[in-house]
Amino acid sequence: MMESAIKREVKSTEPMAIEPFDKEWGVGVSGLTENTSPFPRINKILKWLKERDHTADHERAVIYTDGYFKKYTPYPQILKCALTLRDVLQNVSINIWPDELIVGEIAAPAKSAPVYPEFSIDWLCDEMVNAPLDQRRNDRYVISEETKKALFEIKDYWKGHTLEEHILSTLTEEELKGSHLEKGVNFFDLYVSAGAGHVCADYDKLLSIGFGGIRKQVEDQIHKVNTSDPDHLTKKEFYDAELIILDGVTSYISRYGHLAADMAEKETNPERKAELLRISSNCLQVAEGPARDFWEAIQLWHIATNMIIIETNGHSVTYGRFDQIFYPYYRRDIEKGTFNREFIQELIEMSFLKIHELCKIRNKTAIVFSSGTFMGGTALDVGGVDKDGNDATNDLSYMVLDAHAHTRIPNPWMGVRLHENSPWEFKVKTFNVIRIGTGEPKIFNDAAMIKALQNYDKPIEDARNYVGIGCVEPCVPGKTYGWHDSSSFNIAKVMQLAINGGRCIGCGSHCPRYSKCAGIGGRLGIDTGNLESFESFDQVMDSFDKQMEYWCNLMISQINKVDLAHQRLKPLPYLSLLIEDCIGKGKDVSAGGALYNHSGPQGVGIGTVADSLAAIKQLVFDEKKVDGKTLLNAIRANWQGHEPLYALVNSDRMHCYGNDDDYADDLARFVTATYCKHVEHRPTPHGGEYMPGVFSVSQNVMAGFYVAATPDGRKAGEPLSDCIGPVHTQMGSHDRNGPTAVAKSVAKLDHSRIGNGLILNWKFSPGAVSGETGRDSLISLMDIYFENNGMQSQFNIVGKEVLTDAQKNPDQYKDLLVRVAGYSAYFIELSEELQSDLIGRTELSFD
Amino acid sequence: MKITEDGEPYGLITNIQKYTIHDGPGIRTEIFFKGCPLRCIWCSNPEGQSYEQQIGIYPSKCIGLSKCSLCINSCPRGTDTPIKTEDDRLLSLQEIPECKNCFRCAEECPSRAIMIWGKKMSVPELMKVILEDRNFYLKTGGGVTLSGGEVMLQWEFAALLLKACRDASIHTCVESSLYCPTEHMEKVYEATDLVITDIKHMDTERHKEYTGVGNELILKNIKRTAELKKPLVIRIPVVPDHNNSEKNIRATGEFIRDVLGNHVIQLQLIPFRKIGTEKYATLNLPYPMGDFSPPERSVWEKNLLRLTEIMKEYNIPAVAGSSQKMC
Repeated sequence: MMESAIKREVKSTEPMAIEPFDKEWGVGVSGLTENTSPFPRINKILKWLKERDHTADHERAVIYTDGYFKKYTPYPQILKCALTLRDVLQNVSINIWPDELIVGEIAAPAKSAPVYPEFSIDWLCDEMVNAPLDQRRNDRYVISEETKKALFEIKDYWKGHTLEEHILSTLTEEELKGSHLEKGVNFFDLYVSAGAGHVCADYDKLLSIGFGGIRKQVEDQIHKVNTSDPDHLTKKEFYDAELIILDGVTSYISRYGHLAADMAEKETNPERKAELLRISSNCLQVAEGPARDFWEAIQLWHIATNMIIIETNGHSVTYGRFDQIFYPYYRRDIEKGTFNREFIQELIEMSFLKIHELCKIRNKTAIVFSSGTFMGGTALDVGGVDKDGNDATNDLSYMVLDAHAHTRIPNPWMGVRLHENSPWEFKVKTFNVIRIGTGEPKIFNDAAMIKALQNYDKPIEDARNYVGIGCVEPCVPGKTYGWHDSSSFNIAKVMQLAINGGRCIGCGSHCPRYSKCAGIGGRLGIDTGNLESFESFDQVMDSFDKQMEYWCNLMISQINKVDLAHQRLKPLPYLSLLIEDCIGKGKDVSAGGALYNHSGPQGVGIGTVADSLAAIKQLVFDEKKVDGKTLLNAIRANWQGHEPLYALVNSDRMHCYGNDDDYADDLARFVTATYCKHVEHRPTPHGGEYMPGVFSVSQNVMAGFYVAATPDGRKAGEPLSDCIGPVHTQMGSHDRNGPTAVAKSVAKLDHSRIGNGLILNWKFSPGAVSGETGRDSLISLMDIYFENNGMQSQFNIVGKEVLTDAQKNPDQYKDLLVRVAGYSAYFIELSEELQSDLIGRTELSFD
Repeated sequence: MKITEDGEPYGLITNIQKYTIHDGPGIRTEIFFKGCPLRCIWCSNPEGQSYEQQIGIYPSKCIGLSKCSLCINSCPRGTDTPIKTEDDRLLSLQEIPECKNCFRCAEECPSRAIMIWGKKMSVPELMKVILEDRNFYLKTGGGVTLSGGEVMLQWEFAALLLKACRDASIHTCVESSLYCPTEHMEKVYEATDLVITDIKHMDTERHKEYTGVGNELILKNIKRTAELKKPLVIRIPVVPDHNNSEKNIRATGEFIRDVLGNHVIQLQLIPFRKIGTEKYATLNLPYPMGDFSPPERSVWEKNLLRLTEIMKEYNIPAVAGSSQKMC
């Protein structure tokens, strides 16, 4: 019965899903078209998913609490974590949804978020009462009475035992004053209340030897441990934890196999019955064994990644280089006739839907600024070079791009790796998908990404195999625990302190910190000088440098405490199975078991600070149009009473970053280099080194809330410049010379130091990129940007009028997908603040 | 040709636009010359008509006189200033003979609510900007396009600039109405690689009605361009109810086939779009087609494709719009 269903696919002679390389799907149409997949099953499931509410589920939390506080209290932490997670995997309810070909969940049903009380739970319980999650404007979650009751019941067990409480108890007043809790210099909240995630498993190993093979690796190591070794007990506990987890893993995957078999028995439709039987045999095979064909491989890849999410509570759990991981299976299946391309295309699209159903609850503050992400960071890359530097693009690279064109959902977060020998056809396919206007995929420049990784001591073969974690973070898959995104650092706030004697602009008794600051000399930072008294621009730069050093040091001491708390309270025995060389070292991934370890905090507001410094240099020191005191008073007054000056700094008379103007671009280089200098290569507690990034995702909106007016013509509370892009303020865009100038300005920054990656957002009107002329000009623009060592680009290709209309009439734009920053999201699911920031970005339009 | 006090020839330029992709092959930098002998009623660049520097007014950009008034304070005419205001905001700048166009108000205005249309630029100044994007031209077969206004009105300066581009191995394109003395045109052609011109109407009376001049000189120059074997792209700005009749399109097709011997790389039928309204307002000029309401997109799009098909009957490489590759 099963064979007939599969053969049905094989018989088809004209593959309908293998689109010609230059197939166009339209320009700027985004997701506003229905039934875009050639597979009725995919369209049907997509419709079902869209209609389903996001919910929360308590089962994981209840089982975890039970193990943690009742069954396994006397165990050492790593065993306690392993045993509780095993219990979750063995006992949590599981489902196989209608029509699906790949199964697996994250310990909660489709579009339902599990709860992770070990990180933090108070905020959720508080919001369930005081800020109901089903009444949010965006990122809405419906929570059943049963779930609420269950969560309230376990809440008190965790009092004093959560990761969040532990971290907060270790922070000093000096570390707290600049945090997200107070003055917003440094936003390190991401890993205080959730897991670090931001990791890519060793899928090559997993698919080829299976969990059974990994079990054998662990068992081999146990025998090697010398009992007189001082680390003996730590290692033994680690290996015991690995074996416990493996029991849970095998049981979890097998349970899906048995469920599928049970469902097949009751199924009356013969085709579905065959599918269920095959799903069952897939699961029973990969519960221990290796994947033997594409379907088994994609099943194992999916469910193994889900278990990382069940364990870690991290986002940006990355799916790796899809076309490289799966090509051997694809090729063998096509050659042997096991499956045809059409069926493999359907499986790829199926896997996208499975990724799309994942979600994670964030608190009410987080969703204002990073709204619409749901799970977040489900990155997957295609294209690029192999470990020898040759082009590695293959059939699957094209099929993955077609899969996005067919599904037009914001998951996975797709990345295309390009290099000097990427096939022309592949570029055409990539840019045709980009021109649809969903914001997917982003593109990476292999040369720049590889160079950055080499700068952080990666051997060339590993560097060439990089994957972009989450948004963009360069990472060697399967070997790295990168702590990417460990903090967002508000460079604009530091710049303000640097020109105002270490005081906030607007410092006064209305501020809740006023009395505390008084105790440290009446200032938040250190006194490095004041715009009223600087005698030269060199003094301004020197003050900025010193202030940056002070705050970067504080940021690093904060992150280190968070890092250490994770090691102590939340070891990750399951993830450790999938990251080299945890098993070899006998060390948990959180404690430095990985081959490569990093921590990657992002600098936010490069453009804002560059334009502010340029304004100071030009107006105060070069042209002497205003004195420092006047400019300082103007920003203190939020430009009120200084309107002509406000208009001037926003006018084309100024030197601004993004115009291929060295005057301002040199200052952007200086700001970036200063941030990198104070962060790069410093040691992390889990045994690696810091690696700075310069992108904001949407933190530029959040960080802007904490920053008073800035000399670049920004008013208090406005967003900072996004990622590595030029400034746009209420008064308009500061980049005025079009895309070639932006490309050249950005490429002037020293990308090789930016080991944690960067983002460049482009926004084109559909007219500017339509037709063959528009397509090929855009490809060439990116070719040159990459030849100049630009690292990354991503695109919005939706008209401003469409976005404005969608903000007013959300109901008519439910499927309008746009690029936010590291990710794409449904426009109507974004907070108002983020929508407006997006509308305000410079639209490059040429006709 | 105009020359600065230092003896440097200069052109009067309204705008420089980088990454232009529809006026010639590849990625280009487009230089807009100021001054035009035609007055097309559908003109969307009215700032390019007069060969004088002009004041442009954007009342919406004015930050308010109570907060600023740098313009009025800088006006040498004092209280008798031609700057008119309403409700604390700039309204217009009356054209009065007493205003000597000293442009002090525009120089002072911080928000560019008062700005100057037309900048005097020398060849080295323009070449500096042009060369910034050289890599983009090389990669894409792009280069420089001179447009306007009317390039031929500043033919001596244009020839100098084109020569400088050619010396720098940059592809050159001139977009012109070709309403000019043939000698000027030929001089400009010496360093021109591609010419883009319009045939706005084949009936000289209608041509005169819509543009202010007859079409004889233009057609003669187009014929001469073909004789010189200069690579040529012809455009028809298709304006509904003005020149979109089948009769006119067929007449154009016959001209291209019979007189030019189909010496044309591409014939583009460009849909009329109502843009430029704001610019007319800044110049305090009426928009001749201000009351015209163009038909629905679906209607004109269909019509445009039909006219394109007709052109193909004459074996002319006709395309709708300007986003298909020229070569």
